[in-house]
Amino acid sequence: MPETLTETHATETPATETHELSAARERLALRQASLLSALVVGTPPPEGFDRARLRVQARALAAKRADVIAKIAPELPRILGAAYREEYLAYAAGHPLTGGYRQDALAFARQLLDAGTPADPGARRELRRWWRQRSGPGAHRSRELLRLARTALGRGRR
Amino acid sequence: MTQEQTQLGTGIGWRPEIAAGIDQLFGIDWVEVVAENLCHDHLPEPLTRLRERGVTVVPHGVGLGLGGAERPDPGRLVALAQRAELTESPLVTEHIAFVRAGGPMTASPRFEAGHLLPVPRTRDALDVLCANVRIAQDALPVPLALENVAALFSWPDEEFTEGEFLCELVERTGVELLVDVANLHTNHVNRGEDPVKALDQLPLEAIAYVHVAGGFEDDGVWHDSHAHPVSEPVLEVLRELCARVSPPGVLLERDENFPPVAELAAELDAIGRITGDAQGVVRA
Repeated sequence: MPETLTETHATETPATETHELSAARERLALRQASLLSALVVGTPPPEGFDRARLRVQARALAAKRADVIAKIAPELPRILGAAYREEYLAYAAGHPLTGGYRQDALAFARQLLDAGTPADPGARRELRRWWRQRSGPGAHRSRELLRLARTALGRGRR
Repeated sequence: MTQEQTQLGTGIGWRPEIAAGIDQLFGIDWVEVVAENLCHDHLPEPLTRLRERGVTVVPHGVGLGLGGAERPDPGRLVALAQRAELTESPLVTEHIAFVRAGGPMTASPRFEAGHLLPVPRTRDALDVLCANVRIAQDALPVPLALENVAALFSWPDEEFTEGEFLCELVERTGVELLVDVANLHTNHVNRGEDPVKALDQLPLEAIAYVHVAGGFEDDGVWHDSHAHPVSEPVLEVLRELCARVSPPGVLLERDENFPPVAELAAELDAIGRITGDAQGVVRA
């Protein structure tokens, strides 16, 4: 499986970059951030854009995201059946992509489970099993270690 | 400027779903593979087989976001360089696009677009893009070529045409170009930008290879889906390009809704007839 990259995001300005370039980066950063926020969060679009086209672009990004998730986690559309797309698009509307797709697929499944979805108990059990396998065993082990550490330090909770 | 480009020939975008079909395309010269889908230390077995057959494998990145405001992420650059070494490719390719925004420079959360978004063709964006391209070139073991992207919308207040923007980029960085004729067609429909005019302005000698892909029109908007057969207007842009220059390589992209391999072979044949690849190109 391809590795997931951990980004380092060097944001400091290296000595080799001119003040003009840094200023250009900042101006561009603001323009791109306000546009992307309109597309993935639904904040008001910046001045001068064709709003109908931005809606087309926003839908295209969400649809693409649903396709990618279906590809990297084919179990989700299998478990959810025909409801997958609608459920994912509803989730995506409130959860812009901030990291990798695997993380996003897990968060989507977690949200469904928290909402008691899917209604069918068998499907819900299958989804829970999928979520648990994908978020562990590393995740479980580290949570367990954290609990033990807290207990050892006398700050154990429940 | 640019060095002598490698002659690549006729190729197809390698995807796991059509790996078996591509195995049967005996006339294929090269394949392109999404760089982010490769592991850093080994190739999928079907790609290793293709390499043994003498098929060139070119990594095609989608996640660097060189058109973004920030300096390219060092980790992503290292990863792309590793893929270039792993495939022993003569070049690597990426896009003139931004794929994420926000973060410290904007005091707002960082979001991923999950796809390629067009950069504004302004002096600011060009300066930043050129600086980012130079950083990438320094980190990569082989030449970099950048692709023009398909756009569904226009930025207001642009200062350059597509052709002018690409000319400046090539002039200032020596980067090569991956010209996607489907994206030129997309921008014709969606932004009213004439592909013939773009081709007239492009630095044709900088072309490393050409992408061809299918899409569909809906309600006056062209969607570059890579899920439909290549249509005549896209082939017409390819014809216009080939009337001006003989591109070192041409590649068919198909990402969804995969047809039987014979259909892809027929599309490659049609492309080969336009580029003048005389070998009868590919047989399924």
